[in-house]
Amino acid sequence: MDTATVERVYTNYARVYDHIFGKIFHDGREHAVRLLSLSPGERILEVGVGTGLALPCYPRSCEVVGVDLSEGMLAKCRERVRELRLEHVSLMKMDASAMEFADDSFDAVMAAYVVTAVPDYRKVMLEMIRVCKPGGRIILLNHFSNGNPVINALEKVLSPFCKHLGWRTDLSLATVLDGTHLTVLHKQKVNPLRLWHLVKCVNEKSNGNGHSA
Amino acid sequence: MPIDKDLLAILACPKCKGDIKPTEKGDGLVCQACKLMYPIKDDIPVMLIDEAVKLS
Repeated sequence: MDTATVERVYTNYARVYDHIFGKIFHDGREHAVRLLSLSPGERILEVGVGTGLALPCYPRSCEVVGVDLSEGMLAKCRERVRELRLEHVSLMKMDASAMEFADDSFDAVMAAYVVTAVPDYRKVMLEMIRVCKPGGRIILLNHFSNGNPVINALEKVLSPFCKHLGWRTDLSLATVLDGTHLTVLHKQKVNPLRLWHLVKCVNEKSNGNGHSA
Repeated sequence: MPIDKDLLAILACPKCKGDIKPTEKGDGLVCQACKLMYPIKDDIPVMLIDEAVKLS
């Protein structure tokens, strides 16, 4: 699946996304923002901000930047930002695999339901690490395959639906983190069915990129 | 809503990674080196080379 297809699928889903996924995924989003343990004045990036379901969870004392590639999702998101007067939130249309931010721009970076929905998760991870400050927090909220046979069977049932949305069901957390300078601080299961993982990492890069030496 | 100064400081031109500045009208972000304007649509800067407007 290429970037243009992902953009189109999500723009088509923008109108109904909140109805389908809002409640199911809310629990995870709320947890994710709490896990960021934000301090006043910090700058946070939300990659794949979508319709902005997590935005009301961020404290107003922080500066939040949300990026997404889907215009339809961003339009919904802007409506939410205006309605709730979220003046601490800025939105931008950007490709998560090639972001236009300087290195070390953010204290924390959050990506909810993103890494399995992009054509190249590796590029997105490296970009998140690049724009996050050394020692900054990176939170991933995602489904990761874990080798459990019962869950694997369930994943197979859900797979055609996931495929339509461009979600991979075969990606493990170890694969996503392999070769990066991210250290997992905390991991928990969230959402109904406990199929999703919330993972908090610390960015241990030192040389301005996310690769291992 | 004008784009925040601090935010502008961390934003780069998608093409040359150089500095960008808002237009007078505030309807876009300009890279003088690349002669490109990245439009701001409904308060949302579109930071993509494919959607940039060439400046004469």
